[in-house]
Amino acid sequence: MKKLKRFKLSRRTMLRGALGAGAVSVGLPALDVFLNDNGTAHADGSALPRRFGLYFWGNGVQPPLFNPIGEGQGDEWSLGEQLAAFTPVKDVISIVSGTKVYTGNPIAHDSGVAGVLTGAPLVFEGESYTFQRPTIDQVIASEIGGQTLLRSLEIGVQRGMQGRSYNGPNSRNPVESSPAALFDRLFGATFREPGDEPIIDPRLALRRSVLDAVSDQSRRLRRRVGHADQLRLDEHFQNVRALELRLARLEEDPPDLAACMRPDAPLADYPDIEGRPRMMEIHRAQVETLRMALACDLTRVFSLWFTDPVNNTLFPGRSAGHHRLTHDEPGEQPEVSAIMLEIMREAAYCVERLESVEEGDGTLLDNTAMLMTTDCSYARQHLLEDYPIILAGGCCGRLKQGLHYRSTGFENTSKVLLTLTRMMGLRLDSFGIDDGEATDGLSAIEV
Amino acid sequence: MVFTALVSYSPAVRFILQPAAIALVSFGLISCSAGEITEPARQITTESPAPPFRAAAPSLVRLTDAQYRATISDVLGETIILPSSLEPDVPVDGLLAVGASRTSISSRGVEQYEDAAYSIAEQFMADETARSRWLSCELGTTFDESCARDFITSVGRALWRRPLEDEEIARLVIVTDRATMALESFQEALQFPLAALLMAPDFLFRAELGEATRTAERVFTDFEMASRLAFFLWNTAPDEALLDAAAAGELTSDATLADHVDAMLEDPRARDGIRSFFADMLELYKLDDLSKDPTIFVHMNAEVGPSAREETLLGVEHLVFDRDADYRELFTTETSFVNRKLAAIYDIPAPVREGFGQVTLPSDRAGLLGQVSVLALQSHPSASSATLRGLFIRKVLLCGSIPPPPADLNTALPEVSGTARTLRERVNEHLENPSCAACHNLMDPIGLGLENYDGLGRFRLFDNDVEIDASGELAGVDYVDAQGLGEAIADSPDATTCLVRTLYRYATGHVETSGETITLRALHDDFAREGYRVRALLRSIALSRGFREARRPSATETEEGER
Repeated sequence: MKKLKRFKLSRRTMLRGALGAGAVSVGLPALDVFLNDNGTAHADGSALPRRFGLYFWGNGVQPPLFNPIGEGQGDEWSLGEQLAAFTPVKDVISIVSGTKVYTGNPIAHDSGVAGVLTGAPLVFEGESYTFQRPTIDQVIASEIGGQTLLRSLEIGVQRGMQGRSYNGPNSRNPVESSPAALFDRLFGATFREPGDEPIIDPRLALRRSVLDAVSDQSRRLRRRVGHADQLRLDEHFQNVRALELRLARLEEDPPDLAACMRPDAPLADYPDIEGRPRMMEIHRAQVETLRMALACDLTRVFSLWFTDPVNNTLFPGRSAGHHRLTHDEPGEQPEVSAIMLEIMREAAYCVERLESVEEGDGTLLDNTAMLMTTDCSYARQHLLEDYPIILAGGCCGRLKQGLHYRSTGFENTSKVLLTLTRMMGLRLDSFGIDDGEATDGLSAIEV
Repeated sequence: MVFTALVSYSPAVRFILQPAAIALVSFGLISCSAGEITEPARQITTESPAPPFRAAAPSLVRLTDAQYRATISDVLGETIILPSSLEPDVPVDGLLAVGASRTSISSRGVEQYEDAAYSIAEQFMADETARSRWLSCELGTTFDESCARDFITSVGRALWRRPLEDEEIARLVIVTDRATMALESFQEALQFPLAALLMAPDFLFRAELGEATRTAERVFTDFEMASRLAFFLWNTAPDEALLDAAAAGELTSDATLADHVDAMLEDPRARDGIRSFFADMLELYKLDDLSKDPTIFVHMNAEVGPSAREETLLGVEHLVFDRDADYRELFTTETSFVNRKLAAIYDIPAPVREGFGQVTLPSDRAGLLGQVSVLALQSHPSASSATLRGLFIRKVLLCGSIPPPPADLNTALPEVSGTARTLRERVNEHLENPSCAACHNLMDPIGLGLENYDGLGRFRLFDNDVEIDASGELAGVDYVDAQGLGEAIADSPDATTCLVRTLYRYATGHVETSGETITLRALHDDFAREGYRVRALLRSIALSRGFREARRPSATETEEGER
């Protein structure tokens, strides 16, 4: 491994989303890849990257069926009915129940997502609203995303969905819901397995010089526009710079990770069956691609969006769309329960697949922290109390596993997020703003 | 009531909100229970004096997906195949056109635009016919500076919609020189400056910022006007003729501008323009992802959504261009254009074997509200919805403002029972709850006027074996069925003020500020005088001060907050 200079991305992107600071970085440092926080990558013998993943589904849960029975560590608790699919991985996940989102609930579903993932309420612009703060995946990516080919990866399952990975107001990272397109993007022509030669192609350097010219144009234009547009150009500029860096990395040796290989390609298309999208098959194809993207260290931050808030997906065998059922199905809502079982089975599948990758003395999941959550607790009433939170993975020995932590007195969900950012190496004093702000983490989930 | 829970904004948030936005938020705080809701579009018709004209601040506008594709096809050749996916468009305040002036380009978007640029550049250079339009010199292996310069200058003006500055040209000539050396081929090397032009913010964003004059804070320049007019009226980039007109100073002078606008409205591309507007306003782009349970709606297949969109857009084209008729006829006309699929849904013989043919729809449907596009889109995957349909009529067609449903209410409709068999009966039980009724009274009763159409838009007389009652009242006009509802909408003054407001927002890419109220009023007066013909409205907007002028862009955050 070459001796590399330290390279650290600032929290600029995150701050600019929230505070509107207009600073632009000019001339990012040369390519200093694959370093850990201390600039001693690989020196301590553990060349293992630490990852963060967000796993999201829309339309909440049914808390009585979702919540575990008992609390504590290991055998002291058992999984609720809705989480039965997690049984094989119960000792590598933790559940945090009884917390609450404190950021208000003016817009059912979207207020919940914004609250749990950013610790801040939605911001209204005219008759529309948007997130005012970056979501946790982007908060973390702005710190560690510079270490890999891709800053972060946004994956979808529901067709035509939007996801909710935000950099700041009106700045959403689009999700890739097509398995074929995701595969091509990550494992297409430019992918190299460990041991492959760097790509030698004069076009790569030319593409970089073109991007450089594009950056110059961006700077010229920036001088002429108002403040709001400067922020938009800054974002474009930074993303152009990031692509320049990525192209340069193709000319270096690919990371040497034992488990890395090109996964099997998914199907070109997954046409609906009886008007029902093939959620399970699409999800599993996406998980396979994600699994290798992580094993090959193409990215260390991902978000996987199973369905959007308020989605009305027709699940197999169901009489109406998911969202409508959560409101209109009478009684104990057996149809909603069946949908929840399906979603949780897939969530558990994702965890199992990441657990199945060997890495060093442990597994890929051991070196990952996953936050799995949704847009409200009880969907029928859009409650924000007793918020559903599943954590998975060990975060390189930092995150407790096999725990059910039952919060008393409705602790702020932002405490969990603050702790996760710290486990990922960020040094934040707080997470969220106003009522959603947490200045203390949740020590119960720390090892 | 429920919205008292709305959070207070920290100072950090407040400056993001513009005053107009704050006013609307506080509007949202008003509950529906006041009985009368103020239709914001009515500010256009009220007697109270409007503040003096002041233009809005300019904003970069990102090319929409459709505009990007149309521009490539027009400038570089129709045969170029584009990647299926680019940065997605996002609606803001109900319009993709407004979203385009708020959003930026994501990291994934930059990647996609780069892929697209090289794919386009490669196809273009490989196609001798397409190439000959912009490249007249012999292409050898050695670097030809004057050839590169001419190419960049000419194609650059078409793509950036303005002449390039010397410095900008020089930069791309250097890129070409380097590429020629590295690839040992001048022809291949020319892909790189072209790709650079296509990835530059000057192409992907429309930078229409205006310049100060003696009479106005800022007036859009001739080249900026060429771009504004072309994207508004044609939904594509200005062509060479329009750019030449800009170079000759013809798009800032009143007399010559009017002539150009008239000519542009005669051009077939104006049909693309009006289609794009109605697809945006009526959210017809959502029809690509139409989800219906085919076990309930047996006509449902992948063809339905796109077919339904085409029907509506052909109808709009016919009304606006073939007939140059009154906008309000959109809600009452019995003329439509259907293919075999739609004919089957409407239970009429297909007028043609392939494609779309003109038909007179049966008397049980009339106008836009009898079309599958609106009926299917504003429904659930497995049932009709009075609320979604009513909300669409109130919000999209009449520009009413209805606050979002409170998160903490049980919004479920009562299930089908002995006393509540039809949707109307279930809705009525629902409306007995005053906290629901306050807002739902504004939507559900209107939506029930369309209950004779199921969740896909098929006509029906019965719901759970009970005869459907589709009667109701809109703005004091009683109706017994959907045709009557269509007439009531056509008769409502809100329908025309709403179109003025929405088309103005679409044209300018922003939500009007208080300084533009006076413009909207003048536009509506013109519209009325011209017999509510949409073509006349397009023309008035293109000639209005609001479309031609801007205020000085704010340089700081503080100013941003104060504007």
